Amino acid sequence: MPISRRVFVKSSGLALVSLGMDPLFLERAAYLPYHPLPSSTDPVLICLFMRGAVDGLNMIVPHGDPVYYRERPTIAIPARDVIDLDGFFGLHPRLASLKPLWDEKVLAAVHAVGSPDATRSHFDGQDYMESGTPGVKATSDGWLNRYCQHDAEHANTPFRAVAFGPQLPRVLAGTAPSLAIDDLQAFGLRLPRAAARDRLTRAFEALYAGAETGLLATSGQESFEAIRLLRRANPLQYRPANGAAYPSRRLGRSLLQIAQLIKADLGLRVACLDAIGWDTHTNEGASDGQLAGLLDELAAALMAFTVDMGERMRDIVVLTMSEFGRAVRENGSGGTDHGHATAMLAIGGPVAGGRVLGRWPSLDLASRFEARDLAVTTDFRALFGEILARHLGATDLAAVFPGFDARPANFPGIVRT
Amino acid sequence: MGMRLLLVVTGLALVGVPTTDPRRDFLTRAELSPRDSALHALNRLAYGPRPGEVDRVAALGVMHWIDQQLAPSRLPDRVLAGRERGFAILSHDADALSQVFTNARRERRRESKDGMAPAADAIGQLLQVVGQVQQLAVVRAVLSERQLQEVLTDFWFNHFNVYFAKGAARVLMPVYIEHTIRPHALGRFENLLLATAQSPAMMFYLDNWESVATGARAGARGPNENYARELLELHTLGVDGGYTQRDVMEVARVFTGWSIARPAQSGRFQFNEWAHDAEEKVVRGVRFPAGRGQDEGIRLLKLLANDPATMRHVSRRLCARLVSDQPPDGCVNAAVAAWRRSGGDITAVVRAIVRSPDFWSAQAVRGKIKTPLEFVVSAVRAVGGEPDTTVELAEVVGSLGQPLYLEPSPEGYPESQEEWVNSGALLHRMNAAAALAAGRLPGVTVSLDGVLAAGKEPDTLIHAVDTRLLGGILTPESRAVLRGQLDAVRNPVAARALAVGLALGGPEFQRQ
Repeated sequence: MPISRRVFVKSSGLALVSLGMDPLFLERAAYLPYHPLPSSTDPVLICLFMRGAVDGLNMIVPHGDPVYYRERPTIAIPARDVIDLDGFFGLHPRLASLKPLWDEKVLAAVHAVGSPDATRSHFDGQDYMESGTPGVKATSDGWLNRYCQHDAEHANTPFRAVAFGPQLPRVLAGTAPSLAIDDLQAFGLRLPRAAARDRLTRAFEALYAGAETGLLATSGQESFEAIRLLRRANPLQYRPANGAAYPSRRLGRSLLQIAQLIKADLGLRVACLDAIGWDTHTNEGASDGQLAGLLDELAAALMAFTVDMGERMRDIVVLTMSEFGRAVRENGSGGTDHGHATAMLAIGGPVAGGRVLGRWPSLDLASRFEARDLAVTTDFRALFGEILARHLGATDLAAVFPGFDARPANFPGIVRT
Repeated sequence: MGMRLLLVVTGLALVGVPTTDPRRDFLTRAELSPRDSALHALNRLAYGPRPGEVDRVAALGVMHWIDQQLAPSRLPDRVLAGRERGFAILSHDADALSQVFTNARRERRRESKDGMAPAADAIGQLLQVVGQVQQLAVVRAVLSERQLQEVLTDFWFNHFNVYFAKGAARVLMPVYIEHTIRPHALGRFENLLLATAQSPAMMFYLDNWESVATGARAGARGPNENYARELLELHTLGVDGGYTQRDVMEVARVFTGWSIARPAQSGRFQFNEWAHDAEEKVVRGVRFPAGRGQDEGIRLLKLLANDPATMRHVSRRLCARLVSDQPPDGCVNAAVAAWRRSGGDITAVVRAIVRSPDFWSAQAVRGKIKTPLEFVVSAVRAVGGEPDTTVELAEVVGSLGQPLYLEPSPEGYPESQEEWVNSGALLHRMNAAAALAAGRLPGVTVSLDGVLAAGKEPDTLIHAVDTRLLGGILTPESRAVLRGQLDAVRNPVAARALAVGLALGGPEFQRQ
């Protein structure tokens, strides 16, 4: 049995449909004849923001570094529990279900990645990571929106850039159209009875098609176009495939809806979602505990999505990010305080997986940022920029990350070339 | 030339003189009817008309109404005063609020240490602070007779934006709004600037509280430039106002030591001599001699407040709010001239903007699109709605994309229509309008019977909705759409709700 099949069996407790199927996104070359062709192969980027600053050192564990164990007497992941990756780094045990993706070289981590700005404020850190201009507070739009502004080719669908949540996150703020969707089912006019809802929809559509011109008219038309497209494509009809089982909380629900939008072929190109609760100042735990519980849910959601998308994963990259990492030394409350660099994960066919990328700065006191935190050796803009350029085909990174030298020489090498 | 003369004449004629002759008001605005002028003023200097208010303002004389609004302390505001008594937050002083924060923090720590449930009271109180402050803003915008003061309080808060959810800002905010911004909304810009610079909320939000002289203390990071940069770029000179990165660093040195006392010890503004860089600084060529302590910061703020670049930058932002997203030079020049004459008296500056022909031009009238706050408040006012003291109506504003006091960027919420109009946002507005008209919008009580009788013929109903609630803005196309919809509805109450919901959610009402 190929290892990839075991992945699916193990990870999703899974249904039998997938047993006879090879997850073809792993093999970019071909697909099995009995499997339907994917309707679209446009690349998709999914950005998962781990808000609260995830402890990168307990997520991708430098178990080969004795300083790690010295500095974290109660919360280090014991070597016997670490899922070893390359002899030096290993996964937190609750990410074990992702290990087969590593083995198939479609999961990579970047370590010691972060912002050149020294801030340890969640607000500033998130702000900078979303505006894409660390240290510059006055930037009004987000880097993903700026990417969309320069991607005229895919501007013809209201679903090109979608954030799953009640509000548009800063990263998608800006002049390029983007949608915030809390719940696909509730998108559109909300009235309990379908007949009344349809009538109201038609009435508003007629009003916006009237004498009004300019932005109101075009946005109004886009709204009704989006409603029509959603109705026609009916993304809710797509049940999780291959026995994928999404966790029931918000993170799982958002990933399920992203999968549905992709399957409905509505032109989704970038999607954003949040995972919250990573601010582990107290009682962080080690192999078990608070962080373990969060990673458990994260791994289950990512795995469900990967299994569900199947071979479509060949053209999808899921990227995690977090505003900064946490201090090397544990604090007096069994937790970790705000730090500097962290680790980020990328999953998908285009990912040059099976590697922990980025230069490791070591945990020695002398190598630490402000003698305290893991130093940043990869600017987050180099990572995001590489994915935009090599996965989504962005050509003008200078406009997306003003003031940053986004030369390929600076890329960490996250995308297979 | 002739225009300027006329303006001077009307200006003189109107100061303090009640004018009932509408023709006098319209010497400068020949193309606007008295009702159109009243509606325009109510849209820009207030949060839109309440039922019948366009007629009342037109009868009073729009310039007279504006003069009343420019002197808010003389306007009785009893209804709002009564409603404000329902907001416990207004009776908390800074000490009580910092106690709320300290309690909540202690409870959070206790929870994570012992794994015990925190005292719900402590954290609940902290969250209530946020909700109450947001709802209070909405209640005031809907109910206050001093509408221009509310508009300008919102404008100045946004100009000196602070992000509510950044840690301790949650408890610093009520004092910031009540005592730092609001009293100066129509006062002198210099005083407003000085007040913000010495507010714990601003010092915390832009990190100045931890800005210390290089080498002042072992382990301290040195000067923090955040406040210095935004002070020059956003609060005063503007990004093209003539300063360099070197100036930003010098300004940061000037403000080292401008900090906050610990929450347990009042959490008030505090100048820390030990953290202040006592050496000489040079800002934009102006020397600040060594050893002047906090006074050099005060001196710098006064210089900045009265700098020509500041006059232009801030006037332009005011005009963007009151006149047009891209304001013409005419109104900006008028504002700058008034600023210069009056020494930065905001009342004089706003009066000059409103008296400039640009304010009343065909391009300006109905040329701006409402922000979510303006949309929700104007819709509630249009139907004579009564907001309650829960946070629900403020949450509607947030769900439309403008959660109050929660804009993370120091730039504040944008004044450009592109930022507010997109497909998802418009659908939210339509939903809110339909819900409001049907009495289903959370946080507000609507009784349409009080403003619009049900059971009229469709054409009469549409006419009444348009003239009495909206001020007469519906196009023939929209009236025809409403007509077509109403034909299918037999129930008179449902017909009225449908007409009002479509009118408020339609394109005309998104404009101001």
